[in-house]
Amino acid sequence: MIAPKYIPLVIKQITRHRTRTLLTVAGVATAMFLFVAVQAMQQGVAKVTEETAAETTLVVYRKDRYCPFTSQLPDFYGRKIGDIEGVKEVIPMKIVVNVCRASLDVVTLRGVVAEQFIDQQRADLEVIEGSMDKWKKTYNGAMVGETLARRRGFKVGDTFKTSSVQNEVSGIFRSDEPQNQNVAYVHLKALQQATDKKFGIVTQFQVKVDDPARMDEVAAAIDDEFAIEQEPTATRSEKAFVAHAAGDLIELIKFTRYLGWGCLFAVLALVGNAIILSVQDRVKEHAIFQTLGFTGNLIGRLIIAEGILVGLLGGGVGTLGAVGILYWKQLSLSVDGLSIPISAGATLLITGLGISLSMGVVAGLVPAWQASRHEIASCFRAV
Amino acid sequence: MAHIKCRKLTKEYYRGDNVIRPLDKLDLDVEEGKFISLMGPSGSGKTTLLNLIAGIDRPTSGTLNIGGRDIAGLSRSKLANWRSEYIGYIFQLYNLVPVLTAYENIELPLLLQPISRKERHKRVAVALELVDLTDRHDHYPRQLSGGQEQRVAIARAIVADPKILVADEPTGDLDKQAALAIMELLQQLNRELKKTLIMVTHDPKTALYADLTLHLEKGQLMEAELFEEHPATSEETQTKS
Repeated sequence: MIAPKYIPLVIKQITRHRTRTLLTVAGVATAMFLFVAVQAMQQGVAKVTEETAAETTLVVYRKDRYCPFTSQLPDFYGRKIGDIEGVKEVIPMKIVVNVCRASLDVVTLRGVVAEQFIDQQRADLEVIEGSMDKWKKTYNGAMVGETLARRRGFKVGDTFKTSSVQNEVSGIFRSDEPQNQNVAYVHLKALQQATDKKFGIVTQFQVKVDDPARMDEVAAAIDDEFAIEQEPTATRSEKAFVAHAAGDLIELIKFTRYLGWGCLFAVLALVGNAIILSVQDRVKEHAIFQTLGFTGNLIGRLIIAEGILVGLLGGGVGTLGAVGILYWKQLSLSVDGLSIPISAGATLLITGLGISLSMGVVAGLVPAWQASRHEIASCFRAV
Repeated sequence: MAHIKCRKLTKEYYRGDNVIRPLDKLDLDVEEGKFISLMGPSGSGKTTLLNLIAGIDRPTSGTLNIGGRDIAGLSRSKLANWRSEYIGYIFQLYNLVPVLTAYENIELPLLLQPISRKERHKRVAVALELVDLTDRHDHYPRQLSGGQEQRVAIARAIVADPKILVADEPTGDLDKQAALAIMELLQQLNRELKKTLIMVTHDPKTALYADLTLHLEKGQLMEAELFEEHPATSEETQTKS
């Protein structure tokens, strides 16, 4: 766009009005911080709710119940579900959370039968600290998801107490599944013992289907099986279950997209205002540049470069700040034991910087065009 | 052949419903390497003529041929390129860029040339030496006196080695001492570097430095005064100024 030899000139023009530039950069940084945070939430929602053609996990929940404390299903359902055609695996699961409300720091305990869980999930979980074997042998042991471990600063051997359940970290694992990343798997019996002592009762069943194309068929078969039981079931794909159970929260998060757009508009207005003021201050200066032989086109490009630099400075600070904080804090917005990860990585960083750059270009276009059209002699007469 | 050739050069602009005509069918020939001063009352068209010759304004009608080229017909961008090659403009109020140092101000016209940074540095150093400001190269305009600022402006005007220098009351904002130094510098540029120099001035003593003084009134040339021996440089004139 402009030759490197002009860059010092652009930088000098920006640093000329230090206070104005700093305020603009601060405003852009704040707006981009908010935008990136909103985008991280939107991406989190998409990650946990958007189904792909390869989905094979169903969640069987108590019909017309929406929180782990009220969904109570007999564990013998598991055997019946396992007999249904198309079902590959069944994991009975009791879920206990430390907070029922929506929160950024929910600890979710999932009680499972260790041997069964290890057999079925070993391939999907990557143990990054400790071991599954140690967990199997430790009565109050917990296999903790990476996000939860980093957020709470857990290390193997640490103990933590949640909902009056004392746990010891046996291992930390990584998973592609966002829900797994933010939970701790504990022994089902130990969890039942430590909470309501309702042995034989679980919160839900996690069912693996042998063919993604049969998800709906299998879900219907499960619900038909228990339709006339005292505890009827509602079976959905895992992502549909999250979308349904955390529906209100997801709606709220989706609404924040308007906040994101507002942030972008604020960035555009801030950079545009700063550049317009700066160009208005320099009518005579641009006339001098033109007198020296600078073309209107070159002056326009120098002004757009100023917009890009201001946009990138502010956008860079805001985006890096948001990505850094979200990466460091490992936040998840959770409700009823379901997590929506608010995480930002390289993609969001590049997106944020790209948008900052684009906003700088757009904000600089009008003042650049105006400055490039000025008649030199009339500029000198006007000043 | 004249280096600058104006024929029936007219400039008009509108102020409300009134047509203002600062130049009216002016004819002028200037030979290469000459030093011309333009004098006349305010509104006589001196600065308008200077701006037209410098290519920063366009005539309403007539022809303006400089170095064999009709510059009135050039597009905006071609005219800008022509200015960078042909014209060095010296303003009354110096018009240095305040956020740039003396060195950076002088370097500005060279940014437009396809030359290396090293070559730019060499040329700026020569220009700074010529105006005797080598030791002030890193000073900002606010840190310089009026005379020094004007010398930086002159260095900026000559650094790209233009064929023509135009100066709009170059000493108008300077004290006597500084004005004398600037005029001697301009005369040196005209004589040693053979630059064609067109200067607008209100001051008859300053005009004496030129080879020829042209008087304008109501947009037309009234009379010419030829100074073959440059009385301004004689001992008598220097004492007076």
